[in-house]
Amino acid sequence: MTTPTRREVDPITLEVIRNAVPSISDEMSAALQRASYNMMIYEVRDYCCALVMPNGDLISQNVGGVSHFVADLGVIIVDAIKRHGLDGFDPGDVLITNHQAVAGQHLNNVVVYVPVFVAGELECFSMTRAHWIDVGGLSTGFGSGAPGNDPWIEGLQLNQLKLHRAGVPDESLLQVLRDNIRFPESSLGDLRAQIAACRLGADRVEELYLKYGSEVVVAGIDQIFDESEARCRAVVGEIPDGVYEASSFMDRSAGPPIDLHARVTVEGTDMTIDLSGCSQQRIDPVNARTLAGSMVAYKCLTTPDDPVNAGSFRALTTIIPEGNIMMARFPAPMANWSLVLPTVIDTILRALAPTVSDRIPAAHLGTLGGIVVFVGKEPDTDRPFVLMSIEGGGWGGRPHEDGESASVSVCQGDVRNASIESIELRYPVVVERRQLRPDSGGAGLHRGGLGVEVEVRNLVPGRWALMQSGRNGCPPWGLWGGGDGMPADNLLVLPGAAPERVDNARQEVPSFARATIMTAGGGGWGSPFERAPARVLQDVIEGAVSVEAAERDYGVVIDPLGPAVDEPATAAARRADRPSLNDA
Amino acid sequence: MTGGVSLAVDIGGTFTDLIAYDHARGELRHAKSLTTPQDLVEGILDCLELSGSALDRTDALVHGSTIAINTVLERTGAATGLVVTHGTRDTYAIGRGNRPDAYRLFFKRPKPLVPQQRTFEVPERMLASGEVELELDEEAVVRIAGELRDAEVDAVAVCLLHAYANPAHEQRVGEILRRELPGRYVSLSHEVLREYREYERTSTTVVNAYIGPVVGRYLEGLQTRLEGQSFAGTLWLMQSNGGVASVAGAAHKPVAMLESGPVGGIIGAAHVASGLGFRDVVAFDMGGTTAKASLIRDGVPSVADGYHVGGYSEGQPVRSPVVDIVEVGTGGGSIAWLDEVGGLKVGPRSAGAEPGPIAYGRGGTQPTITDANVVLGRIRADGFLGGRMALDEAGALTGITEQVAVPLGLDPIQAAHGIIEIAIAKMALAVREVSVARGHDPRDFVLLASGGAGPLHAVAIARALSLPKVIVPRFPGHFSAAGMLVTDQQHDLVRTILAAAGENGARVLEAYRSLVADASSRLGAGAADARFEASVDMRYRGQDFSLAVPTNEEELGEPALISVRKRFDEVHLRRYGHQAPDEDAELVNVRLRVVVQRDKPSMRLQAPNGRRDPTPRRVAVHLDASGDAAEVALHLREQLAAGDRIEGPALIQESASTTVLSEGDSCEVARGGELVITLLEARDR
Repeated sequence: MTTPTRREVDPITLEVIRNAVPSISDEMSAALQRASYNMMIYEVRDYCCALVMPNGDLISQNVGGVSHFVADLGVIIVDAIKRHGLDGFDPGDVLITNHQAVAGQHLNNVVVYVPVFVAGELECFSMTRAHWIDVGGLSTGFGSGAPGNDPWIEGLQLNQLKLHRAGVPDESLLQVLRDNIRFPESSLGDLRAQIAACRLGADRVEELYLKYGSEVVVAGIDQIFDESEARCRAVVGEIPDGVYEASSFMDRSAGPPIDLHARVTVEGTDMTIDLSGCSQQRIDPVNARTLAGSMVAYKCLTTPDDPVNAGSFRALTTIIPEGNIMMARFPAPMANWSLVLPTVIDTILRALAPTVSDRIPAAHLGTLGGIVVFVGKEPDTDRPFVLMSIEGGGWGGRPHEDGESASVSVCQGDVRNASIESIELRYPVVVERRQLRPDSGGAGLHRGGLGVEVEVRNLVPGRWALMQSGRNGCPPWGLWGGGDGMPADNLLVLPGAAPERVDNARQEVPSFARATIMTAGGGGWGSPFERAPARVLQDVIEGAVSVEAAERDYGVVIDPLGPAVDEPATAAARRADRPSLNDA
Repeated sequence: MTGGVSLAVDIGGTFTDLIAYDHARGELRHAKSLTTPQDLVEGILDCLELSGSALDRTDALVHGSTIAINTVLERTGAATGLVVTHGTRDTYAIGRGNRPDAYRLFFKRPKPLVPQQRTFEVPERMLASGEVELELDEEAVVRIAGELRDAEVDAVAVCLLHAYANPAHEQRVGEILRRELPGRYVSLSHEVLREYREYERTSTTVVNAYIGPVVGRYLEGLQTRLEGQSFAGTLWLMQSNGGVASVAGAAHKPVAMLESGPVGGIIGAAHVASGLGFRDVVAFDMGGTTAKASLIRDGVPSVADGYHVGGYSEGQPVRSPVVDIVEVGTGGGSIAWLDEVGGLKVGPRSAGAEPGPIAYGRGGTQPTITDANVVLGRIRADGFLGGRMALDEAGALTGITEQVAVPLGLDPIQAAHGIIEIAIAKMALAVREVSVARGHDPRDFVLLASGGAGPLHAVAIARALSLPKVIVPRFPGHFSAAGMLVTDQQHDLVRTILAAAGENGARVLEAYRSLVADASSRLGAGAADARFEASVDMRYRGQDFSLAVPTNEEELGEPALISVRKRFDEVHLRRYGHQAPDEDAELVNVRLRVVVQRDKPSMRLQAPNGRRDPTPRRVAVHLDASGDAAEVALHLREQLAAGDRIEGPALIQESASTTVLSEGDSCEVARGGELVITLLEARDR
């Protein structure tokens, strides 16, 4: 690689490269998704595809699936070069890694990548990271763990291994994989899809580099980074200089709450997000090594619709000291590595709400969705199965409108729930209902969106994953006088027993138990007493708000016959003391 | 068909296009008039008069219309109610929970076409096996009918869980609702789409019900008006799947005619190219605001199982076969602009037809792709729309100079060339998406270019992707209507079965035969001439996305379905670059396509008349970014005769379009008048 002088690429070629580069990662993404074997990839889209320079700079990454996979593959390449050397790769190599000392996520997230050579020169790496349904240990499903775990209990650790050397597969390594994971058919199918996607990316890169010449493409990419940076700076430049702070927390059944604190400093066009005030790493598996919290928040604030590249984050400084829950030292357990991220992101946004009030919604569900996981065995074949679905929740009220209901978190983009019919076609369960949760949205001038509740009856014995969200003590907050959203919850009804709340990642159950998974609503924005009574009436008619909540939270008295707004009673109620609610 | 006339009418937002084929005389004529939104038939009658065609001699009129899609996009459909299984009232509102615009805090979810308060749950439950878990509460259905009546709905959609497996409850609900709510449009999900996934099936059924009354009234009105004008032939409606349906068929399933407008051109492309001996084609259409690409393989357009009306992020999902089109926001009217950091962009904003490009002189002030073509001399001011519309060349030059060239430090020719190069790169990505990205080698394909702006850029796009040949059909600017003339009657049926591939031959065959029986009863006597095409959707056990594998009744009769299974491995290998022949595979859906052929004009025998000027005029054109213009020959298309050869560089100009050949490209005029261009790079092969 050469270091090109600035601005040597003509604007036309530059625009062509700008269009071509993201289309490569998008094409890789489509290929991986459609050929994958587990719903974490084809529905949840818990994967990413990227092109990364040998220095770790991100050239391009697909957008759409899991948004907290953002510019996070560079560290793996920096580490790979350190180990193998710049000349330690051959065409036809395929590498695999999930090792937490560098990758910093749960072991289910397996990174597969290939070096890309153009005319004999190493130009970049074509990479995919995808959530395997199982990597041994306790990893089945979403990778749930218990306090006191370590990475060896969590699953199989793969540390920057060459799966293929110059095109020749390492059969011993493949055998190790096959023998140490519970669903080898699924995961090795995903592996095949990942390798094919990486090779596709490599082919496209080669075409592009050969067509325009490596120097031109590299110079163009460099220029695109500069422009991405400039766009972000332009947005941050409009935010008044200052230091902005906010705090929140997540409660845990084991141990003290996880404290979260964001300190955002804006100085000219530079932004620093300091997460030093967040808890230290824990013995329970909620640790990670990730900058995703600050990066997702920054991306949402600055250039949400632009492709992601290394320039997207150059004007952002993130401070997370070693030993912090998001910069945990190996071998901290990481099975639930992304648990804190949605709340961290909301906390960063909340810090900025007073200064850019027209851009910040109230808090959203704040978790990675309602996680529906049931593990059992098919009655006829005794084959093990894992049912998984991710249910969305409520998003916060916005400065100009209500929050959306039943949508996945800020860390998830094009992530879909599993349809009732496909669940029942595949697995011995019956989905009794999937509904919006009335009254779950925080009251407000602009109401928070509603959470979801799903009830599933298992027809065979098995194991439910029913963890509490950790957001009961600090539910999704309202802004500017808006009320909090209703927190997530879950209930289990064993045959012949009363419903009980559960907080257990591995709840064994007999046949015919019923589990209900409920997601949180979003916080409200602005005082609910300023919401037009006609809107509240409409909420009541649609079932989003109950008659009781209309009166209690909005001061709107509804005559259920009609239904209609009882105007005099409403006027009286709204004259009375307003409930004390959140300030921003 | 003897002595009669076949008509095709494409009613677009601005223009109504008509193509008439006189079977007796072997003549093909075209007319265009302004669309008359108040009374669309007026526009058709205007066109008839212009083209000198008579309705009383017309045997068949094929109609493509945007009424269905506009009703959805403008949300002007019927007040619709929805009846669902107990526990699933919110399924339609919840959707899949996804947010495709991942970093947008103020993202929007699809807005349901039926409000919550008109959605009713009925106690009943089917299981995935088709067994009844809870019997239907018929009294509850009667009560719901009363509430729907009180809510003054004009249409009702019914979508019960697992109705694709066992429609008994849905059928019964339908009977009760039709009895209790006479005159209302009732749409049952298993009649619209017999496929699993309740949200997508609900959405499709709701769209069908929502547009049903509007489309029904429109079709009835059209039929009546045409008959009032002595039309005694058959009215056919263009469908999204590329076939046509009768008025009754279209009224029953209007959701199948959402993409009625654009697909005609793709069917035409397959037909024209096949006539010239090319079976693998990329159909490329570039109009005023967008460019579209579609793949035709072995003479058959590729069809997707569904799409989102109004875009993936916020649109309504519709599962109904639709000719697979990749669209990019690059049309003749696309605006070239500089973003806040000085990057040159082309589109997706468009100047449209009003105010249009600067060169149109109708108030447009922003430079467009058309303006760039004018500046480069590829669109000639003196020949535009056959000389009927003057072009403001100076204005186009000033716009590009001031708004693009000066800020970027380029000369105007470089800037204009750059705009076109960027547009071509974007369009090439669309062509690539339908071809290379789906595992096809572009060198095996030809590009068939239509749309007013298509022939201007087709050769450059083909060159960028190594397609060896370009075909420019006759009437490239009105090709969607022309394509409608060559369509067949076509129905697509589907049934979800979900079975392991190894052992379920009998079940699959039974499902296939029931589809054939359904189709035959629908076609009545016409079934005798029908062609039945079977395919199955397959995947490896554990996968979710399936691939369509073409097959036939004989193969479906194999107990272990070995032939189908083998073909699936091959299809998977071609599409994704890997396969797993040792793994279990599943059959997800059985599909049946029924085709009843219609008489078609032999378009390729239409030889143009006119004498070619032996010494064509030479004009100055910029074919590359260098500052110098080249003197190239300007040929007039109407003067070309079959067998003529033209060597590039050259322009071939016609009323609504211009074809650009570069140095070394060679064009031959085919028997039907099509231009068949062989690119320089392919000439030695």
